[in-house]
Amino acid sequence: MTATAPSYPTVAPIEPPALLLDGITKTYRSKAGAVDALRGVTYHFGRGSFTAVMGPSGSGKSTLLQCAAGLDQPTTGTVVLNGVTLSGLSEVELTKLRRAEMGFVFQAYNLLPSLTVYDNVALPLRLTGRRPSRNDVHRVLDQVGLDGKAKRRPAELSGGQQQRVAIARALITQPSVFFADEPTGALDSGTSRQILGLLREATDRAGQTVVMVTHDPVAAAYAERVLFLSDGLLAGHLDRATPTQIAAAMSDLEPPTGAVGWGKR
Amino acid sequence: MTQLFYLSRQTVSRHRSLYAGSFVALAVGVFLLGLAATATAATIAYRGPAASAITVTTLGGDGAAPRQIRVPFSDADVSGLQVVLNMVGAISGFITIFVIASTFAFAVASRRQEIGLLRLIGATPRQIRRMVLGEALVVALAASVTGALAAQLATPLLLDKASYTELAPVKLEPASPWVPLAIAVAAGLLVAMLGARSAARRAGRVGPIDALREAALEPPRIGPVRIIFGLLFMGGAITMLSLIRPSSGDGAVPLAMFTPMVMVIALTLLAPLVVPVVGRLWAVPLVAWTHVSGRLARSNVVAAPRRSASLAAPILAISAVAGSMVLSLSFAADSAGATIRDAVRAPVVATGGAPVTGPGVKAVDAGVPLQMVRIDRDDAELEDVEGIDPVVATQTRDLTPLAGDVRQLTGNTVAIGKEMSGFEGYKVGDEIPLVFVDRTPVKLRVVAIVKDAFGVNPSLLIPLDLARKHAPKAEPERQFVLPADGVDPASLVQQLPHAQLAAAWEADQAAGVRKGNQLGLILLLGPAGLYSAIAIANTLLMGSLQRRHEFITSRLLGATPAQIRRMVLWESSLVGAVALSLGTAITVTVGILIRHAMNAGLADVPFTVPWGVLLGIGGLCLILAIGSALAPTTYILRRSQPSAVME
Ligand SMILES: Nc1ncnc2c1ncn2[C@@H]1O[C@H](COP(=O)(O)OP(=O)(O)OP(=O)(O)O)[C@@H](O)[C@H]1O
Ligand SMILES: [Mg+2]
Repeated sequence: MTATAPSYPTVAPIEPPALLLDGITKTYRSKAGAVDALRGVTYHFGRGSFTAVMGPSGSGKSTLLQCAAGLDQPTTGTVVLNGVTLSGLSEVELTKLRRAEMGFVFQAYNLLPSLTVYDNVALPLRLTGRRPSRNDVHRVLDQVGLDGKAKRRPAELSGGQQQRVAIARALITQPSVFFADEPTGALDSGTSRQILGLLREATDRAGQTVVMVTHDPVAAAYAERVLFLSDGLLAGHLDRATPTQIAAAMSDLEPPTGAVGWGKR
Repeated sequence: MTQLFYLSRQTVSRHRSLYAGSFVALAVGVFLLGLAATATAATIAYRGPAASAITVTTLGGDGAAPRQIRVPFSDADVSGLQVVLNMVGAISGFITIFVIASTFAFAVASRRQEIGLLRLIGATPRQIRRMVLGEALVVALAASVTGALAAQLATPLLLDKASYTELAPVKLEPASPWVPLAIAVAAGLLVAMLGARSAARRAGRVGPIDALREAALEPPRIGPVRIIFGLLFMGGAITMLSLIRPSSGDGAVPLAMFTPMVMVIALTLLAPLVVPVVGRLWAVPLVAWTHVSGRLARSNVVAAPRRSASLAAPILAISAVAGSMVLSLSFAADSAGATIRDAVRAPVVATGGAPVTGPGVKAVDAGVPLQMVRIDRDDAELEDVEGIDPVVATQTRDLTPLAGDVRQLTGNTVAIGKEMSGFEGYKVGDEIPLVFVDRTPVKLRVVAIVKDAFGVNPSLLIPLDLARKHAPKAEPERQFVLPADGVDPASLVQQLPHAQLAAAWEADQAAGVRKGNQLGLILLLGPAGLYSAIAIANTLLMGSLQRRHEFITSRLLGATPAQIRRMVLWESSLVGAVALSLGTAITVTVGILIRHAMNAGLADVPFTVPWGVLLGIGGLCLILAIGSALAPTTYILRRSQPSAVME
């Protein structure tokens, strides 16, 4: 494993990648000045892959995820999801694509407090104008182990249970790509394991693609590949690494020394 | 769509406190509208006894065909009440749009993150807009029906109170409520949807990324469309202001009442630009005086211009509308007083119709009041007329002719006031078709056009003999008395029954005008004021409730409850001060213009500013604003920090 410019033999290039980033840069401009959050990221995420993105705080992980999911417009570069170039899409087309192809799990603010667990999970289907079938909703709730809690409101659930509801909601539309930003950031290790197991299952069983930003080497170890981001650039990757290896790579990456001498197994 | 409506219903029940305000505001608005509508229906349904009305045919011509018009006589006239009810309806509708728009804007602003989340999981902007409109519809339906029911229950009470008053000297009975209440409910729904529209549009612009950004502040810029409309309304208001000038005559008072509304709309549209600027000015002394809490208050007001603007809007609206109305009517009474004073030349006035005779009396001007129906091309109106003896009357009052000669007032002739001649285009020598109350039609030739003197001379003056002939029972209401040479008016007053010195009579008349105005003001501003009070309390209450998170965080950071309360106190005072200073600016401008317009040609006009009422309006607004911001803050601070109880 080396930290060179990416050329990826990981997934056989028979089918097109689920998600392709080509030369993504992102500059935030504000009164305080411009920030180059991403400075040229090119990568493709193979279908059915589980990829973790790690890096020091402020390295651009969340920005990368938002650009990849079409939530934010990259300054330059293109994002192609299942063969569709995002930059050419209107707001409505983008929304419909998001609805059909993407699922999201974030650290917080995931659920609508006014709706029951059942209604939260059913919501994406309602938004497409379909009446959700009870079976579908209960199937995904069962999948995340919450079938008995369908009538509760989010405020009556623990943090981990809320996160599982969010995953159930993402699962119900059977998206091809999951985007997760620190999904276990606020959870204890046992609950984290459940959440990560669910994401792992999505890739293994249903061939769904997962892109997950995390700070936790244990969480990252669930992924088959860990990408390291530093200062807006891809700085390397580790495949099928243990938490210890990932932690070591991370500590090498942390400032002030920057990204050097990592990639050892 | 049905799926979305389901969502709307759920969110409304969740955000009950957010929507409670909109509900109350709209229900009260529809209640007032409904009441105005049912009462108007009662006045329309009212048909006095057939004998007290007269049917005439208009002249026609100039494109208007002659038509029959039924003109009721004054003792069965309910048009005064109708005018007031229409104005109550207009003002209530106006304020309702206002309040609803600002409460919905609030509801959206405080749910940015939630809306972002919906966008994230696949809601299109259109669906979001529909959801917000759906929420508005749920609230509006419930509120409109509640308001209409309440109006129906209150109608008999109102009609009972309104019967046999100056405005409606008859017994009014409730008419069928269906049409008026349907109108009120429809108006309520329309107003709610109009108010919710801009909020919905703003909600549609929230992006999915807003779900991820914590405490995303609203974008400070306001749209170009809003600015353009703001400037258009401002232009309209300035044009209307420029019309408040001496040549507008009677039209000046309605202009002075409606211009502030247009001005308020303009300022509210531009408020996100205007409020921070004025807020910064007011904050200068505040910051100097209070250090931390004042500084925090300033940045909160200036950094969230939209929020400050919607808090300021209802205060601005009521202070400008009520202030201008109170001041304009006071100045109108001033000028009416001066007009009466200048118009009376006789030193003694006797009230009532008893014949005035005695040794000290040189001449008595015992004019007889009566009513006549004046017919013009496309309308017919009941007019006040007085029969006078031109020889005496020209000595006892100011009947300076602007054209013609008053002394020729004999036979079938008439002298008219300047304003009537201006409005109707009558010139000396024209013949005016009129009908006496005894149903005799006549044509009277205009012999003179005289200065207007409302309160002393009606706009039509006919020869005394003619009046006596057609209205034999009419008696003078007041008689102007000239003392014989060398007789002291004061001693003459002692001798004559029901006699007064002219100055005293004039003062009584002016006071009467003021009292009449007061009744109108209470009728017009009472409901609007009550409503605005609800609105002010509503927006500020919601404003504070929405900041729960911020208050708790500040507490954790070490701010004492007293510090937070002080900050909220200064903030709401600042918003109140900004709104009231804009309202004052409008009031003063309108006041100056109307005074100038009405006092043309008058000298030594008294200057009465109803300070008590004006300061009362301002004070009430301020107290309400501060109170309703502080109360929920105190409540939140108590509830969210157990330790706070111990202090
Ligand atoms: N909306 C924004 N406006 C301006 N600058 C921003 C914005 N969002 C992020 N940035 C900047 O872009 C850079 C990358 O931010 P990003 O949120 O992607 O970091 P991150 O890797 O997710 O960090 P963390 O691990 O702390 O979440 C940072 O320097 C941040 O300050
Ligand atoms: Mg981040």
